[in-house]
Amino acid sequence: MTDPVPETLNQPAITSPTWYSDLLLRRGPLYSRLKSVLGLLAVLLIALLASPHSPRGGLIFLESGNITDILRQVSEIGIISLGMTFVILTGGIDLSVGTVLAFASSVVALVLTRLDLNLPPPVAIAMAMAAALVGGALVGLGNGVMIARWRIQPFIVTLATMIGMRGLARWLTSNTNIDIGFGADLASIFAGALSTKIVVIGSYALLSIALGTLLSKTVFGRYVRAVGDNEKAAKYAGLPITRTKILVYSMTGLLAGYSGILHAAQNHQGNPNTGVAYELEAIAAVVIGGTSLMGGSGSVGGTVVGTLIMGVLTNILRLNNVDNNLEMIAKAAIIVAAVWLQQAGKESA
Amino acid sequence: MNWKFVSRALLATTILCLPACRERQPAAKKYFVAFSQCNNAEPYRAAQNQLMQALFNQKPDVQLVIADAQQDNSKQIAQIETFIRQKPDLLIVAPNERAPLTEVMGRAMAAGIPVICLERDITQPNYTTFISADNLAIGKMAGQFIVDSLNHKYGKPQGKVVEIRGLLGVEAEMERYRGAHDVLKGYAGIKVVHEAVADWLQSNARERMSEILRAQPEIDVVYGHNDPMAVGAYLAAHDLNREKQMIFIGVDGLGGPAGGVKKVVDGVLAATFYYPLCVDKAVEIGEQLMHDPSFHPEKQYILQPELITADNATQMYQKLTF
Repeated sequence: MTDPVPETLNQPAITSPTWYSDLLLRRGPLYSRLKSVLGLLAVLLIALLASPHSPRGGLIFLESGNITDILRQVSEIGIISLGMTFVILTGGIDLSVGTVLAFASSVVALVLTRLDLNLPPPVAIAMAMAAALVGGALVGLGNGVMIARWRIQPFIVTLATMIGMRGLARWLTSNTNIDIGFGADLASIFAGALSTKIVVIGSYALLSIALGTLLSKTVFGRYVRAVGDNEKAAKYAGLPITRTKILVYSMTGLLAGYSGILHAAQNHQGNPNTGVAYELEAIAAVVIGGTSLMGGSGSVGGTVVGTLIMGVLTNILRLNNVDNNLEMIAKAAIIVAAVWLQQAGKESA
Repeated sequence: MNWKFVSRALLATTILCLPACRERQPAAKKYFVAFSQCNNAEPYRAAQNQLMQALFNQKPDVQLVIADAQQDNSKQIAQIETFIRQKPDLLIVAPNERAPLTEVMGRAMAAGIPVICLERDITQPNYTTFISADNLAIGKMAGQFIVDSLNHKYGKPQGKVVEIRGLLGVEAEMERYRGAHDVLKGYAGIKVVHEAVADWLQSNARERMSEILRAQPEIDVVYGHNDPMAVGAYLAAHDLNREKQMIFIGVDGLGGPAGGVKKVVDGVLAATFYYPLCVDKAVEIGEQLMHDPSFHPEKQYILQPELITADNATQMYQKLTF
């Protein structure tokens, strides 16, 4: 972002102290990030204590294969939750990410299997991915325009998009799954290349770093926080609220689209019915990571930590063969406990 | 020092530690069997789980763990990955879908774990053995039953058939459909006047059937691709007092008070086709695989369906526990 900082933005009296003190004192975000990291450390400690032993004697949890399994398993939700962090920071919500993921997975598989692309494989695959990404970004753009320009509540807009995109994905695919094989055809090459751990985990890591930097080091990032913290103040300060919101929702759609591409590659399938409740898992990761649903305060690093907490917890419960239903109860407890802890910090801060 | 935060953190950590501190897996069990089920929420799958639990409960040296993938391919892949880390003596997988589960089951095989693929095929033979039931045969039996009952009603093969289909694109749905149509297309007098998709659900079938009843004044046979959908169609006809004008047939033939066999006993369904749970065979083969290293099972076992009508329903109802 190259936008110059408006003069007004440097006047602390206009905006509320949360983000302003974040910028000046650096105490707030560091402190809250430390807390979510503490949470992750606690879960890791539990995992170490509770991990079953492998026949060779080591802890199964610590096997490099298991650690990379966890990272790969959280990547799709993780990438979505990066975008969700920005949306929630602006005080909004995006319920459509799960169906956008399903839509993108269907689009990429459709292009690869149904269109007769007479192009070299890398170009054809890039085109298919571009179609899915553009599709996702356009949905996000639509969300952003309806929310920022038409001033419809984000919950309602994205609820509608969630329903509509499910319908569109099913309609495009005639409600069937588009299977990707294991041969030497275009779709198989795509699935083989993009389902490797290095690509999936690497994408998540790079996107986390990039978006973390975008939020904490750029003017755009400050706009995002300012809009969510106090929209009126941000408006009087002359910040580009509409543009910021539209960009944030577009970016989230784009990220959900990319997740859909990874989903199609990993599952060897474009599936219009997939991604159910992914938006809720992403929101949970954001909230556990310390981002307030009221907007304004939170961080990308926190969300990554929140995602990892859920991933490690799921893994350790499964390694111990804890009943599926108890797993859901444990996750519910984690969500409430995490937010309760964050509030304890705020009340006394 | 922020005491409020520290005290809350300590309390929360203690509570969260509780599940981790529970007793470790009992070491006495000699064999560990892992079963990855694609969706516990379907009655057929729930019956599979119950039967498998009951059968392995009879073996004191076996510890069985069932994981539910909640009809989500990614979740099932993750669960199987975790199982691979645990190195079970036997892995049984009821795949949610063909293509997505193929690769991870290959990884289980590569890790030296015997893998039984249950009921649904995958795209490559990444299993020790595949135990399946024949959906195409069920479709053909259903088609023949429709022909026979119309013959009985009119003295010749003619009449109007309504078909309530399961989730499109699923193998069971495709084969139950194709098998019936293979038989029915040989009879010009039999017309499939309406096909509706109800995604295996009784509630959906009831709604679709209410619309169909408005559109079709004459219906002779309703063929539901599973029992709940056939029952849903019956309920819609019952609302309009038209259930006596037609017969309803379903598929699955589960036991128990909520199953399709009971519906035949009660006279709601004219027939159902018992679709084998495949679990008894899987337990039998699995036991042999674990106890006898020299045992090499067949690559595939195909279990045959069975016609259940008023004649044998009571007997079947007593025989089937799940």
